[in-house]
Amino acid sequence: MKRWDLIVIGTGLAGLTAARTAAEAGARVLVVGRGIGSLALFGNSIDVLGEVPPGVNLDAGVSDWIGTHPGHPYARTGWEGIAEALVAFQELFPSPYRFVAAGLTNSLVPTGTGTLRPTYLLPITMRAGAGLVAEETLVVGFRGFKDFQGDTVSLHLKCRGVNISLPRYGLEGLTALALARLMDEEPFRKSLGEAIRGQKAGEKRIGLPAILGLCDPAAVLEDLEGVIGARVFEIPMLPPSIPGLRIFNRFRERLIAKGATFLMGNPVTGVTVKGGRCEGIRVCNPPLETEYRAEQYILATGRFLGGGLWAEMDRIVEPVFHLPVSQPAGRGDWFRERFFQPEAHPIHAAGIATDRSLRPSGEGGAPLLTNVRVAGSILANHQSIEEHSREGIAIATGYRAAQEALKA
Amino acid sequence: MTPATEPRNPARTLPDLCVRCATCMAVCPVARVTPRFPGPKQAGPGAQRFRSAAEASVDDWIELCTACRLCDTACPAGVPISELNLLAKAKFLDERGRGLRDWLLVRSDLFGELAARYSRFVNPLLQNRTVRWLLDRTLAIDRRRMLPPYEYPTFRKWFADRQAPESAGRPRIAYFHGCFTNTNEVDVGKAAVALLEAAGFTVTVPPQRCCGIPRLGVGDLRGAREMGQRNLSLLLPTVREGTDLVFSSTSCGMMLRHEYGPLLNLPGAQELAVRLFDICEFLVRRQEENDAAVRFKPLPRKVAYFTPCHLRALNIGLPALELLRLVPGVEVAMLDTECCGLGGLYGFRKEKYPISEEIGKGLKKEVGRLDPDTIVTDCEGCRMQLRALTGREVLHPVQLLRDALAEG
Ligand code: SF4
Ligand code: SF4
Repeated sequence: MKRWDLIVIGTGLAGLTAARTAAEAGARVLVVGRGIGSLALFGNSIDVLGEVPPGVNLDAGVSDWIGTHPGHPYARTGWEGIAEALVAFQELFPSPYRFVAAGLTNSLVPTGTGTLRPTYLLPITMRAGAGLVAEETLVVGFRGFKDFQGDTVSLHLKCRGVNISLPRYGLEGLTALALARLMDEEPFRKSLGEAIRGQKAGEKRIGLPAILGLCDPAAVLEDLEGVIGARVFEIPMLPPSIPGLRIFNRFRERLIAKGATFLMGNPVTGVTVKGGRCEGIRVCNPPLETEYRAEQYILATGRFLGGGLWAEMDRIVEPVFHLPVSQPAGRGDWFRERFFQPEAHPIHAAGIATDRSLRPSGEGGAPLLTNVRVAGSILANHQSIEEHSREGIAIATGYRAAQEALKA
Repeated sequence: MTPATEPRNPARTLPDLCVRCATCMAVCPVARVTPRFPGPKQAGPGAQRFRSAAEASVDDWIELCTACRLCDTACPAGVPISELNLLAKAKFLDERGRGLRDWLLVRSDLFGELAARYSRFVNPLLQNRTVRWLLDRTLAIDRRRMLPPYEYPTFRKWFADRQAPESAGRPRIAYFHGCFTNTNEVDVGKAAVALLEAAGFTVTVPPQRCCGIPRLGVGDLRGAREMGQRNLSLLLPTVREGTDLVFSSTSCGMMLRHEYGPLLNLPGAQELAVRLFDICEFLVRRQEENDAAVRFKPLPRKVAYFTPCHLRALNIGLPALELLRLVPGVEVAMLDTECCGLGGLYGFRKEKYPISEEIGKGLKKEVGRLDPDTIVTDCEGCRMQLRALTGREVLHPVQLLRDALAEG
């Protein structure tokens, strides 16, 4: 039976980062995902720590934050660890479709509901949305395209908005993916650009739903900007996320080129643990259950949506290794009074506690499994939604987990 | 591999597993080219909530699902989307009835032997414009679709007639060739036999019938069960004597391994599944375990590898790619576009031909960009479609590997 150096469970950003880090270091890597992973849902830009206000340098801001949040996943990597992992991430996206920051600080970019959100690394297709000025901005939606409400966006951003249709192409009823594929075709995007130019009233920046192509977004951007005569930016919208799929595809391409094997679509249904070590995992594709073995394992299965955490009536469990989950004392403490309120719900800080090397730890901090590491949003003690730290945690801990696993 | 110990989850076909995340919409090849198909999220779990056995089906778009299963591989919640679609399609077509065309198309295994015997007369007819026009008009088999020519002698005849090599003391391996190899792509079978013999086996070819997947394509569950039952009675004696069985056709393999048991609930399916392997999967494993494994000579060739959807559904990674990488001089690029668009017999149907062609468009462009010497893919459907799209040489991986076998 084949033995792998590393098995990564989870195909979100954390798992992919871990797998790539190991594969590029020469390890034989197997990636197992129950589905395509969270990038297809909401991968857009790379948040690191939105709590740090724009204008304040992220290195100092994050280091201060770690000082007051010693249990946070970032405390395991420090700013240096985050920075190193981010550079590696950026290297995966060479010119022209790059990820860039506005210096060493957060930018504010529009969301699909027209609010502004702090984020750090932006794909170049979103760069012109940073620091937009309402009077100079036009938001363009497509008639009959349900996943992007241009009117809501422009209303909240207090800028002008239009909805256009391109009857020749029958835009009505098309999915985001269909639109992105059409954008990859030069004649389509040029005629769309012309239609937008016809609607422009001197605006300098044009916001579009995030569908600027799947294969060659940089060329789409360049062509649109050329035809329209203004800067163009993508605004995130309802899932599936086209920018997230670009990230996923790029990772997958690199991983396969590096000889990694991808298993997607079936859950891990069991693990074999002996003497504090994981000896194998089982993946079930009915009617077969297949065992895979490796020296090292990384658990990056995400939170509730990805199936990394599971809420039973009275407690939260981790279904793969049955690791203890750091969580509020009882169900009554999971949520605050109202759904929307500024303070985070305690349930969102639930997750897996680890030692310094990201191994799952129990009471007293001793590692429970010596060859298993945990990465990404399944980790305990962060509030990634409110902190705007989701991708940063995934990249930094995925990178670190792989390094630790290779060292072991 | 061991049989799954856990009983089949009774909630499998319940639509409530779906969390409405729309991930599946990111991969469905049909939904991205036509708004007439609502996409996996809606066609599968969405519509399932409104279906009832007692009421007539209203899903007149359900036939547009190609059963590629990509949605299943992407869904994070484990919704058996394509199975829901298949069951809905079966009900819709049971009620509406199936035409003469479907009756004929799914029985191609019955007249295949005969057509091969008289291929000298049949092949020119299949190319004849008047005949194609007639088929198009009377049976709605699209005249633009290339019909694969028949070959004689068939694989079975070649195998029975040949001078078998000295084989005393060698382990036995059984080969499931499938209909297409037998009557239309005999060289694939010859190559499979050559590779297995080079790997040190005595090859046997047990009696076998069409796997029945064409019946599933028209939602004929009863017909598929019958085919399955017949095959099981023919194949089980082989696996019961302890001989493993390999297949070279991805879709036949998926049918035998994953539909006989979980979907069709056929007795003995499990016994077959645990001894059934994709030929490249089997050879990779052999390569890992055995020092005296197959050796390859240099074969300078620029190859583009395409991943069939049903290979993704088998969820065994990319074993053909692993083998191709062992051949010195072979340079492999990935054609990582999802789905070629043929969908088995789907792409032969006049009303679906444009969808099939539209799905394949991206693939054609990608081939043009890579400009390989040879295209390689495991599934005969993908090979047919790729030949039609590009006019280039398209091989099964075993054919290329056979050409690279080192002598002696
Ligand atoms: S099986 Fe394929 S065509 Fe059918 S819904 Fe799923 S992804 Fe779409
Ligand atoms: S079927 Fe699966 S992927 Fe599709 S919307 Fe439902 S949960 Fe999401």
